[in-house]
This record gives sequence, structure tokens and C-alpha cells, in this order.
Amino acid sequence: MLDLAEERARAVLGRWEARSLGVVRAGAAAEFARAAGESARELVDPSDPAFVVHPMYLVSLLRGEPGADAGELRPDGMYRDEVPGTDGLDVLLMAGGQEVRWTGDVRVGDRIEVRRALTAVERKHPGLLLLTVDKTYSAERGLLVEVTERFIVR
Amino acid sequence: MTDHVPAVELAPDEVTLLRFGAVTRNTHRIHYDTAFARSEGLDGPVVMAQLHGCLFHRAAAAFAGEKGRVLSVAWQNRAPAHPGDRLRVTGTVREVDPATGEITLDLVEHREDPGILCCRGHAVVVLV
Repeated sequence: MLDLAEERARAVLGRWEARSLGVVRAGAAAEFARAAGESARELVDPSDPAFVVHPMYLVSLLRGEPGADAGELRPDGMYRDEVPGTDGLDVLLMAGGQEVRWTGDVRVGDRIEVRRALTAVERKHPGLLLLTVDKTYSAERGLLVEVTERFIVR
Repeated sequence: MTDHVPAVELAPDEVTLLRFGAVTRNTHRIHYDTAFARSEGLDGPVVMAQLHGCLFHRAAAAFAGEKGRVLSVAWQNRAPAHPGDRLRVTGTVREVDPATGEITLDLVEHREDPGILCCRGHAVVVLV
């Protein structure tokens, strides 16, 4: 199964795709901050004059509104397209880590497009595949955030 | 400027994970389905990677102060954390770039009792 996942992943290496995350809403960003355990008013209260979107909000959001259809999910609850090459395969998926680089402030009202590509496929040992995905988050103003994310496939 | 990053803590429970999963639309069953998580070899539901990232960001932002900025945060997951674990991020200054003013912080996150390393990473901040 892992061999097939690796073969599929290598076939889409470097292929960029885009998806809309919708418009950044103050209430949703504040709800995120509260769920993350923040208490600073500028993160959790949209009526605060100093309110800002939590910098981790966008990169933590797996889908925009209105969410996904049931058919977009794997039996394990992950999105079928979240980890390239694994759709339909009975493999175990884990997050390996991320690097997040901010180049601009995310603002309420920004319409966000996320682009991503699988940029590396490594077979660490026979039972473990490590996939690296690069992502960019942009608004009409330009690039806001870059992410390098790693997934462990077993 | 201190050499140490002020510690930040979070003790996520099952409700925390439900709320965080809902607002991020993260439906992966390893975060809320105990039987499923165990079927994947875990001790139980696990804290989301992005929630670890939030704690790393909070530590970096606390070091940077109100007028500072966090330019980047990176972390590697080393061991899972579970609901009820108290997570604590600490760190030290690795280097200061005199040309740009950028400060690189080495950060670690442990789950207390028994002090297992959950994540290791770094952040880059600037103080204004």
C-alpha cells in the first residue's frame, strides 16, 4: 500500500493546485483564537479597536465555508485530497510538522486563495513515507503566508 | 534583552480539541475518537499539530512583545500529546542578526508529567 502511495505521490510532484478559503471573517478568527486558548482582547474580541486576525488562523483552517461534502472525506475523517497520493488507500496519516513564514498581515475581509504543491517524497524506511507540501496563502494585496508542511504516511 | 523565552502553557482537554477541530474544520478521527486513535497505535485522541503551532507562536509573540513581530514559526512533532496533558513551551535565544535585528529562538514543547518532548522547533522575531 505504501509503495502505491509513493508512486502516486511522485507522479504529482511539483504540480501546483489552488483552492479558495473564502473571505476572512472577524467572528470566525476570534472564535479560532478562543478555541486555541488565547485571552488577549485584540485576538478574541472583534469589537476591540486593536482586533487582529490570529496569525495562525489561516494556516490552521483546512477548508473554507461552507465546509466539505461527506464524499470529500476518507474513512479516517481526513480530507481525501489533504495528503497527496493517499486518496482511497488504507494508510495511516500523521502530521510531521510545519514551518510558517508570514510576509503580510491577514486582515478581515481578505479573500484568500491557497496554492499548494507536493515538493518532496522521501521513503524514510520501508514502513514510512515522508511527504513535504509547500503552500502559499494570498489575498488580492499579494502573498501573506508561506508554509512548508510535512506528513507522515505509514 | 533576556536570553530566555517566557514559558507559555496550555492544558487542552477533550472540549478544547472539539472546539479547535470545529473552527478549523479538522475532522480527522484521531483527534476525538478514542477507539479509532487506539486502532492507529496511539494511546488515545491526540492534540492537533496546529494547536501545538499556536502555542509556539504564543511563546514567540510573548518574547517579541507588543511592538515586536513574529516572522516565522516552525515545529516538528516528536511525540503525541493527549487531552489532559499540560503543555509547556520554553525556549532560548539562539542568535541575533545585527544586520536585520532578527532574533532566532529555539523552542521546545514538553508535556508535563512525565516531561516528554512533544515538539521541537524555532521562531524568528524582530523587536521594534
